[in-house]
Amino acid sequence: MPPSISKRIKTLSVSRPVIYGNTAKKMGSVKPPNAPAEHTHLWTIFVRGPQNEDISYIIKKVVFKLHDTYPNPLRSIEAPPFELTETGWGEFDINIKIYFVEEANEKLLNFYHRLRLHPYANPAPSTDNENENNPPGRNAKDAEVSSVFFDEIVFNEPNEEFFKILMSRPGNVLPSNKTDDCVYSKQLEQEEIDKIDIGIEKVDREINELKQKLESLVKEEATQ
Amino acid sequence: MSSSDIFDVLNIKQKSKSPANGPTSVPSSSAANRFKPQVTGMQRELFNLLGENQPPVVIQSGNNFKEKMLSTSRPSPWSFVEFKANPFVTLRHWVKGSKELVGDELKESPYSKFNQHLSIPSFTEEEYTTFMHDTENQEKVQNDKNPNDSTEIGKKNDNKNWSFEEINYLFELCRKYDLRWFLIFDRYNYNKSRTLEDLKEEFYRICRNYFKTNNPSHPLLSSLNFSAEKEIERKKYLQRLLSRSAAEIAEEEALIVESKKFEMAAKRTLAERESLLRLLDSPHSDQSITQYLTSQGMSQLYSTLLADKTRKRKHDPNIPENPWMKQQQQFAQHRQLQQMNVKKPEVKESPSPKKTKRQRQEMQTALKRRSESAYAELLLKDFNSEERKALGVITHGEKLSPGVYLRSTKLSTFKPALQNKIFAVLQELSLPSRPVMPSNDVMERQEELVKKINTLIDLKKHVDKYEAGMSITK
Repeated sequence: MPPSISKRIKTLSVSRPVIYGNTAKKMGSVKPPNAPAEHTHLWTIFVRGPQNEDISYIIKKVVFKLHDTYPNPLRSIEAPPFELTETGWGEFDINIKIYFVEEANEKLLNFYHRLRLHPYANPAPSTDNENENNPPGRNAKDAEVSSVFFDEIVFNEPNEEFFKILMSRPGNVLPSNKTDDCVYSKQLEQEEIDKIDIGIEKVDREINELKQKLESLVKEEATQ
Repeated sequence: MSSSDIFDVLNIKQKSKSPANGPTSVPSSSAANRFKPQVTGMQRELFNLLGENQPPVVIQSGNNFKEKMLSTSRPSPWSFVEFKANPFVTLRHWVKGSKELVGDELKESPYSKFNQHLSIPSFTEEEYTTFMHDTENQEKVQNDKNPNDSTEIGKKNDNKNWSFEEINYLFELCRKYDLRWFLIFDRYNYNKSRTLEDLKEEFYRICRNYFKTNNPSHPLLSSLNFSAEKEIERKKYLQRLLSRSAAEIAEEEALIVESKKFEMAAKRTLAERESLLRLLDSPHSDQSITQYLTSQGMSQLYSTLLADKTRKRKHDPNIPENPWMKQQQQFAQHRQLQQMNVKKPEVKESPSPKKTKRQRQEMQTALKRRSESAYAELLLKDFNSEERKALGVITHGEKLSPGVYLRSTKLSTFKPALQNKIFAVLQELSLPSRPVMPSNDVMERQEELVKKINTLIDLKKHVDKYEAGMSITK
């Protein structure tokens, strides 16, 4: 099989971790000069590597589509850092489009992020996917609110050229331990796996109980 | 406008006017001419339209009633004659024929043959006492074996207390009214008051005894048992059945419909349960399906499934044909035919001539995939697993659609209702519906968890159903 430049490498996938989300802070009396009067928060939305690694070797640009009430809602960030700072008063879904480098020859990646400005009183860990970064000691009112998601961009069957680029650096390395700067680490991954394993164990137990119950029911019926 | 005009329009040649067959048409036209003067006015116009195509059957209109009234023939004679209705009564009726023809002697009614009477046994007092005594003794002998019954019978006889005169009277009535029990009951006028059931029971009891002594092999003997209590019970039931109100009848019907529904539901749940139990029996597969993606794997799977079916379930007569096999056979036949026609010796150029085109294609793709994964492995041969992880590169060896995606979007999804249930279970387990860190390993575990939860929910549903079914059948 002669390898050609644009040929996809079948049965192979390469993944890169990425973090996206927003941070927000209440503005005091000090406001940026051009901010409308009703805007109360200063927020920043971003797409970056978990440890602020350079991801510009795979990502060409990121386009954030803001709420239509913003002037010029389509904001294209063409160079790292892929982040956008704005002011506002309300929460809304921001459409994020990630465009990849030319060599990748991939379609864009399209997803949404709900902008978060307000700290919730009782963030339920089971329903909320966000990782709460707020240190508990600080006063909740002026604390920086953040809503950050971890994900992996998976390039399934990349082409040869892009594969070489991807292989040029170990982009999937995570720190082994949790730190304040970056919670996403091998440690957290292991904790996640352990939690899910406990869940699987519980479910298995219930399945077995139900099976036994069913069998006993069948027997009971047979004796009737 | 006459018929000839119409014939002209329709371009039909008239027989009568064509000169070629003139002689044959002459009589018919003359016949028509003879007919013509009889009709006038509108009718004549009509006949003109009809022309010579008159209907073959002449419909005679008109009423013959008046003619009959006018007929001069003499009416046939009828005579009022006496006849014998039964041996005791003579009546008179009208008979066709003159007095001389009928004759003077009394004739039996043609219906007298339907005047039949039942033959009810008759006996004297001595006969009665002997046969009653005989059979009672016999019964006593029988009842000695089970003494409980004998006391009851004795009591019964005391209560009834029939004298021979009364019995004679009863039998007279029976003979008179041919066992029409309501009549008998109505006319019964002895010193004692008897119910209809009493009369019947006594009559049948005596008859039974009578036949037992006189003619034990009488065919009627088996049908001569009568139980007064059962009759009374039956009448009571009938009474209740007939005295139901409309509301009660409606309720009853509704209940019947309901019970039918229940029966149907029970049947259905039973069937479902059976299928569920069968499902539980079959081994749960956690293997990947890749081995079934090739043609050989596919047909193997099919045959094992079939074998499984025939082993575990009742034989289903309409097992669907394996469409694949069918196609293969067709291909093979086609090929053989071609070979026959061409008759080349070098037909067996391929290593396995029985392989069809499709199979070969499958083989090729499988080979290709293998070479692809081999190639992918070759690219990564310089990296050990640790380094591969660092690079985030995996050779999954499966056919997935190429392209870029976010790992978290690849989690299995279900129907909305089921998805909500799964989320609820996850919440119960205090786990998020989306892992905080959806890396490859985490997502694999999550996928397994979600699938298990799905199984759990399914199982729970079936157990609930089963329990409900049990409570219904109880």
